[in-house]
Amino acid sequence: MLAFIIRRLLGLVVVLFTITVVVFLLFFATPGVDPSARLAGRNPSPETVAAVKHEFGLDRSLPVRYGLMMKRLFISRDLVSYGNQALEVVPAILAAAPVTFSLVFGAAVLWVIVSIAMGIMAVTFKGTFVDPLLMILALIGISMPVFWLGEVLNLITQDRLHDTFFFRWVPPLGYVPFTQDPWQWFLHLIIPWITLSILYIGFYARVLRANMLDIQNEDYVRTAKAKGLAPQQVLVRHVLRNSMITFASLFGLDLGVLIGGGALLTEVVFNLPGVGRLTYNALTALDLPVIMATVIYGAFFISILSALVDILYARLDPRIRPT
Amino acid sequence: MAEFAYEPEPEVRLAPGESVKEISGRSPWRIAGRRLARDRIAMGGLILFLVIVVISFLAPVYSSHIANTDPFVSNISGTTVVDGKKVDVVQQGGGGLGLGETPIGPTWHSNYFLGADNQGRDVAARVLYGGRASLLIGVGSALICCLLALAFALLAGFFRGWFDTIVSRVMDLIWAFPVYLLAITIATVLLTTPGGVKLWFIHIQATSLWIPTLIIALIYVPYVYRPVRGQVLSTREKEYVEASISQGASSLRLMFSEILPNVVSTVIVMFPLMIATTVLTEAALSFLSIGVQPPKASWGTIIQDGQGLLYTRPWVAIAPGIMIVLTVLSLNILGDGVRDALDPRAKVRVRE
Amino acid sequence: MKRWLVGFFGVVVTLALVASGCGGSSKSSSSTSTSSTSAGGKGGTLVTVANAAPSGSPDPQVNYTLQEWQLLIISHDGLIAFKRLGGKPGTAKVPDLAESIPKPTNGGKTWTFKLRKGIKFSDGSTLDGADVKATFERLFKIGNSPNAGTWYNVIEGADACIKTPKTCDLSKGIVVNGDDVTFHLTTADPEFLDKLAVPFAFILPSSTPAKNVNIPPPGTGPYKWVEYSPNKQLKLVRNTFFKEWSKDAQPEGNPDVIVQKFGFTPESQVTAVENNTADWMFDQPPADRLSELSTKYADRVHVNPLTAVWYFAFNTRIPPFNNLKARQGVNYATDRNALVKIYGGPKLAVATCQILPPNFPGYKPYCPYTSGSSTTKWTGPDMAKAQQLINASGTKGAAVKVNTTTNTVDRDLGLYFVGLLNKLGYKATLQALSPDIQYPYAQNSSNKPQFAFSSWYQDYPAASDFLNILLGCGSFHPGSNSSPNIAEFCNQGIQAKMNQAGKMGITDPAGANNLWATVDKEVVDQAPWVAMFNPKYIDVLSNRVTGYQFSPQWYFLLDQASVVK
Repeated sequence: MLAFIIRRLLGLVVVLFTITVVVFLLFFATPGVDPSARLAGRNPSPETVAAVKHEFGLDRSLPVRYGLMMKRLFISRDLVSYGNQALEVVPAILAAAPVTFSLVFGAAVLWVIVSIAMGIMAVTFKGTFVDPLLMILALIGISMPVFWLGEVLNLITQDRLHDTFFFRWVPPLGYVPFTQDPWQWFLHLIIPWITLSILYIGFYARVLRANMLDIQNEDYVRTAKAKGLAPQQVLVRHVLRNSMITFASLFGLDLGVLIGGGALLTEVVFNLPGVGRLTYNALTALDLPVIMATVIYGAFFISILSALVDILYARLDPRIRPT
Repeated sequence: MAEFAYEPEPEVRLAPGESVKEISGRSPWRIAGRRLARDRIAMGGLILFLVIVVISFLAPVYSSHIANTDPFVSNISGTTVVDGKKVDVVQQGGGGLGLGETPIGPTWHSNYFLGADNQGRDVAARVLYGGRASLLIGVGSALICCLLALAFALLAGFFRGWFDTIVSRVMDLIWAFPVYLLAITIATVLLTTPGGVKLWFIHIQATSLWIPTLIIALIYVPYVYRPVRGQVLSTREKEYVEASISQGASSLRLMFSEILPNVVSTVIVMFPLMIATTVLTEAALSFLSIGVQPPKASWGTIIQDGQGLLYTRPWVAIAPGIMIVLTVLSLNILGDGVRDALDPRAKVRVRE
Repeated sequence: MKRWLVGFFGVVVTLALVASGCGGSSKSSSSTSTSSTSAGGKGGTLVTVANAAPSGSPDPQVNYTLQEWQLLIISHDGLIAFKRLGGKPGTAKVPDLAESIPKPTNGGKTWTFKLRKGIKFSDGSTLDGADVKATFERLFKIGNSPNAGTWYNVIEGADACIKTPKTCDLSKGIVVNGDDVTFHLTTADPEFLDKLAVPFAFILPSSTPAKNVNIPPPGTGPYKWVEYSPNKQLKLVRNTFFKEWSKDAQPEGNPDVIVQKFGFTPESQVTAVENNTADWMFDQPPADRLSELSTKYADRVHVNPLTAVWYFAFNTRIPPFNNLKARQGVNYATDRNALVKIYGGPKLAVATCQILPPNFPGYKPYCPYTSGSSTTKWTGPDMAKAQQLINASGTKGAAVKVNTTTNTVDRDLGLYFVGLLNKLGYKATLQALSPDIQYPYAQNSSNKPQFAFSSWYQDYPAASDFLNILLGCGSFHPGSNSSPNIAEFCNQGIQAKMNQAGKMGITDPAGANNLWATVDKEVVDQAPWVAMFNPKYIDVLSNRVTGYQFSPQWYFLLDQASVVK
């Protein structure tokens, strides 16, 4: 197990290194992005531009520049944005992370509960109209672009039906920290949670249903049924429990992607100042220091959670050894 | 953001309600075709998809014969006739201050059926044209993605050794590389390089639809590559392949005669679901204005245009979204059908 | 000053400008502006909202954004100030830390200012001549003050400071003798007083370290900065050491506290101000909220013209627009009415053909590129004349790259021209770049866009701030990302007149402005741009605010408004 962890960590370092180098090279290969003119203001003299270049180390060779940026990011931790020099990158990410965590964990709770309920209902009522109805709903859920769904929900809850009884409670877009006002935090996040989770509800319900149907045909389930266990007990104790292996591993991977900035579209549409929106703003402004930091942050979570999933998988299913 | 878990089971099984007689002595492809044709829901999905394709490709006919506008040229000072009255396409804002300009809303007539966008262009015609771009990119990138993944998986799975190691590591890297970052950097490089980028004999302009197509194809290669490579490896271990090798069959012949037919069904099952995924990805990239570049339009760019008009002219954003939902839904339904037809018990999952 | 402001649909919005001279309309041009300029009550907190913190460094000698300047003018003072009043009077210069505005001697090269006595910084220390000298040395020492090398290099000894910033010594250029501070310039500069009245030249304590600070250091104004968190908010409170010495230059403010919160999209800023949870929004409201504002909240909206111009620059050195007839042809064909509509309609922008904005020094209305017989006012495009000129130019069929930003309005303006140029027989394509890279990209001659979007907002009211900076030979630097003459326009005859007008400015401002008007006309005839329109500015206020004033130089005067408690 220790060897496995070390190997995964080494792999993580290699992946992070390669990604950052690629990002760095792509950035400086783009004409017009040299930040020195931007840093110097509107109409600077050539001397001022040269001074700024020197100040930010932009007149050094590429490997040195890369080294300097990594040093300021990890060691002195005082890397600042090209856009606003009072904006330190590391605190900016630390400030954005709680927003993303709030959004993703809330949505995750929602999608786990609803998709399990839908999966169980579909299996229980297989052969009636309920099963295909639920599965069509699930399919529609995975067919909607998340940003479009967000826009449509905004249109309804912020504007068209905002003054009706149903949506009068919906606060304006944005985020309120939990520490400041837990109730407002909750209200502000309800619509974003729903938007983000619909896709995953549809997907997980379908996976769970297929998995449970498969497992129902396994020998040990038939045995349990033959032993006279109540159908509900069989369903929950054997079928659902065994289906959870796949469910949990998929869940881990998705969580990694979303925490790592994959909820970008939802954050942009609902104006939530999380890591995804930070990434998006940095990308549109081609703000390399922030891009670097968010890329590293994202790849870190994606890789860590996929390693955790492998370990979990190995624990739950003894046939698999982590590789 | 897509995940496949595929556990191929190559023997032909009976689908529910199917008799042994029906499938005995037929090739697996014929059996699958029969099954698919009988699957009414899947056929419904297929028909819906084809209808969307057809009407999208009739966009020029619609804009020149029904809407009578060019949906790619701004028409801000233009006028149109509604209920016999001549009105401005883009009208000055109301109220005491008269601030802002509002495009005409849906007329539900042939001209400006869904209204205009803030450039005074016909939204209905744009949605149809946008469909052409979205479908071309969706199908094109899914096709390129599947072919690339298949080629690499065959080579890697067959030669193994260092080749396999390198390809697999590159796939890991693409997997962890942020999609949006890749798209935005490539788009920016192409946009800012004077005269576009020349790769050997291919000359790519910044506004070319090839750019989003290739980017999307590239980012999904690992998702197809992983399961296919696994299958190539397991097929290679099969006795009959080992036997061919011991009889001195050439690698190339083996690849085409023994392994390819076995893995191709996996790719075919994935294909409609891949299109569904790529259409959604194209929309997301274009929504963030890093996909299709103006003046070209796709469903994603039209939704982005409509975002600024959401509260006054919601149809600009809603209409292309509905088209995306219908397209992706039809492809998902079709994909389920294809999977069931090719192997009633195979467990394939695709999601975005 | 270059605009970074105004992302009509919520993207971007930072940089900006300072305007002036605009026709004295300090009130809403269309509403029945009920708020008067009478001083309301003192006290309370003025809560403002913005999309993001001012871009760039927060250091007062580096930052170049209207957003921060609007607050720096109430925390700091220069030797000179623009009169703190709405409307036309707001363009006048008055003595601030200096007792009076001196007359220059030595042919305009020597200026002696007498400092007022007893003025204190917000840290309690007293202002003296050493602070003035240290402030200007610091401007060079910090190394990244944008205009150090273009505005303040006239001070004797500044050239050496630019070469070796760390050892900057202005003992020759700035001589302190008790309360008298004498500036020695290398050449006469008619705009020297203007340059002393903007925040780069606001006086800081001599103890301020010579490196970028993350919050503006103590100043002499009625407020002081107590918080600057770029992703949260900034906060100013009263400076208890402040005693009003000149109502014109630095009046006492009304609110006790001024807060600016960040992270609000323009959409949510409108909502916050409408609901009175914020008192003022910095950014411009998005287009789909305008009709709601002008119907339901008309009495809380103020619209003011700006001394700014939006334009597309031809590259006058490469085909097809190195041909004068081709440039004039496109100018005749342009439907400026459509462009005004893209910006938000006739109440938000006024079509123009020329470089200088209305009510600006040197402005005389001139518009040759119109249908009809008028030469002063644009009435409509003249397609026949356009076709005729373009046919004669022999440039038909040439490829044209239309360069603009991805902001909705800018992109739509670009798309309009792509359509127009194609109609005129060119092969036009759009190149829409992120606003952060479009401006440096368009300036760099090695990128060769034939037709590039830009806009300009005045730094201070002087014609050279438009004509010489944007179209002077000296503003073109080949291959550089900072070369504000995007058109690469250089006409020796016109340049000679600009130089002459610059010299005249010291002795005969009126005559100089007449000459600038000629320069403006001659430049327009050479058609290096398609000038599109002069924009207006929208202010939206909560129902708690009274005493709205719009200064053409600093826009909404935050501290002169009152908040109902």
